[in-house]
Amino acid sequence: MSKDVIVTQNVSKTYGKPPLQVFALRDTNLHIKQGDYIAIIGPSGSGKSTLMNLLGCLDKPTTGNIFIDGNDVSTLNENELARIRREKIGFIFQKYNLIPTLNALENVELSMGFAGVDSQTRTKKAKQLLELVELSKRLTHKPSELSGGEQQRVAIARALANNPSIILADEPTGNIDTKSGDNIMRILEDVNKKGETIIVVTHNMAIAQRAKRVLRIQDGEVQEEHA
Amino acid sequence: MLRDHVKLAFKNLRHRLSRSLLTLLGIAIGIMAIISLLALGEGMQQAVTGELSSLSDVIIVSTGGGGFSSFGGGGSASSGEYFTQRDIAGIERLQGIKEVSTQLSGSGLAEYNGKTTVLSLTGMEVSVMKLQYASQNLEAGGFLNEGEQNNIMIGNSIAHDTFDADISVGGRIKINGQKFFVSGIFGKQGFGGSSSDSIVLMSSRDFQKLTGQSNISLIYVRVNNVNDAESIATNIQNTINGNHGKKDFATATTMTSILKTVQNIIGILQLVLVGIASIALVVASIGIMNTMLTSVMERTREIGIMKAIGATTRDIMSIFIIEGVLMSGVGGIIGIILGVFGSQALTLILGSFMSMGGGSSLQLVPIITITSVVLAITVSLIVGILSSLYPAWKAARMSPIEAVRYE
Repeated sequence: MSKDVIVTQNVSKTYGKPPLQVFALRDTNLHIKQGDYIAIIGPSGSGKSTLMNLLGCLDKPTTGNIFIDGNDVSTLNENELARIRREKIGFIFQKYNLIPTLNALENVELSMGFAGVDSQTRTKKAKQLLELVELSKRLTHKPSELSGGEQQRVAIARALANNPSIILADEPTGNIDTKSGDNIMRILEDVNKKGETIIVVTHNMAIAQRAKRVLRIQDGEVQEEHA
Repeated sequence: MLRDHVKLAFKNLRHRLSRSLLTLLGIAIGIMAIISLLALGEGMQQAVTGELSSLSDVIIVSTGGGGFSSFGGGGSASSGEYFTQRDIAGIERLQGIKEVSTQLSGSGLAEYNGKTTVLSLTGMEVSVMKLQYASQNLEAGGFLNEGEQNNIMIGNSIAHDTFDADISVGGRIKINGQKFFVSGIFGKQGFGGSSSDSIVLMSSRDFQKLTGQSNISLIYVRVNNVNDAESIATNIQNTINGNHGKKDFATATTMTSILKTVQNIIGILQLVLVGIASIALVVASIGIMNTMLTSVMERTREIGIMKAIGATTRDIMSIFIIEGVLMSGVGGIIGIILGVFGSQALTLILGSFMSMGGGSSLQLVPIITITSVVLAITVSLIVGILSSLYPAWKAARMSPIEAVRYE
């Protein structure tokens, strides 16, 4: 029914040069469909972050190709990757990574600003998104004035700002108490129900089990966990 | 887009307010120094130009090849050679001459309050006197008037130091047995030319009557047309040198050429001062670079986030360069404002320096030109761009992965 948003073909990532070459990721072939909800699990050092960086266009594969919405991104330069990141991908980090000098509204507006959206549209959209994450009353609060859960919800609103094809969440609940964490996951799942593709990296099995697909990484090799 | 970058840059600066202000202060001080020194130089130029150009139809002829060096002072008859009546007649015969007058030099035995001493005497036409000493303050009394006899003007140290008692206006000094009344006392010259401190000035007629001599040390020539001054000066020089059979017996200097020389000197002085002030600016720009580099380091994570959510290399560069330009721009504007006050203060200090010794009436008013303001703004913007270029490039080059992971 739906198209592939991400396809990886024989993607490998190595660090260093032979003979000291280290494989962070080996011959990975993935098909991720529009509207998928995927959890990536694995012990630390297994290559989770590497996969995450590659899928998020923060990094380029050593060999192989990555297609996002049908475009091969493995050959793009820095600025073209930046464009893909702001148009197609929304990031959610474990440590929220909001800009400390900007308030909630401005943080959400920022990526729209880089995308060249005019300021009126931006503010309107940012307000809507913050309402979606139930932060309408915190618009002018700086990150330091918000709780961890609240900061992460601002981060979700920011990730959604440019209508991305994919939301990449790296341990989104890692720094948050269980109740707020649950809230965060519910919001992400609501977004998923509206058709957004969600990829969550976690080592929390309870979180992983909520996903539709689970990918396990071990020593740089990705395996599908049954379904 | 640019507006967003400016907003971001501004927020960052405000976030690190004290550091930004200190950095900005560096630029402000540099610009202040440049602005006030330029203003002072410009003021000097204009004061001197105004002073000298009122005398622009005057040619001063002095003996010796060295030229006329001690303006406002006495003659340069150190060679012991004087002009002759033949020289005067020669000059008068030239085309375009309006008026010729002479300064006579000699000495006489002066007596006051029982003490006797030898003083050098200067005689000149009363009208020339007023021109020649126009830039001098009078401590008391006034200039001699046309037709008055046996009146003199004396220098400050003659009035206060030479004799046992101070001489005041109306005082009587005996010179070679002849009584003279002091009608004016010059203010103390201070630095720059002390010769008028020990001058005794009288009309040419009195001088000749008193000494019986007419040793002409200087000749003042006024011309009909200022534009002819240079060529007439050359003619005068040739005529007198021919009379004396020497190549460099006389030097005729026009006010215009003196003016040019003085302007050149002030110009060079100004350039040197501004050069020194520029060092402050260089130091300030290193300050900006230092602050920005620290800021890039501290904001590694923030830069990474911005790149992750889609900022391009250009966005990052632009944000940091704008930060630098904002600092230097605001610093520049503050510097200009400080410079306006600074130049006033500098003038007051210089003024009190000069008037410590009586002073000259040369009014020094600092003049801030549009050019110097535009220059200051341009320079500060350029400094801002140049000094933030490297930090901005460093920031833009950061890999988003490294940057996001950075603790």
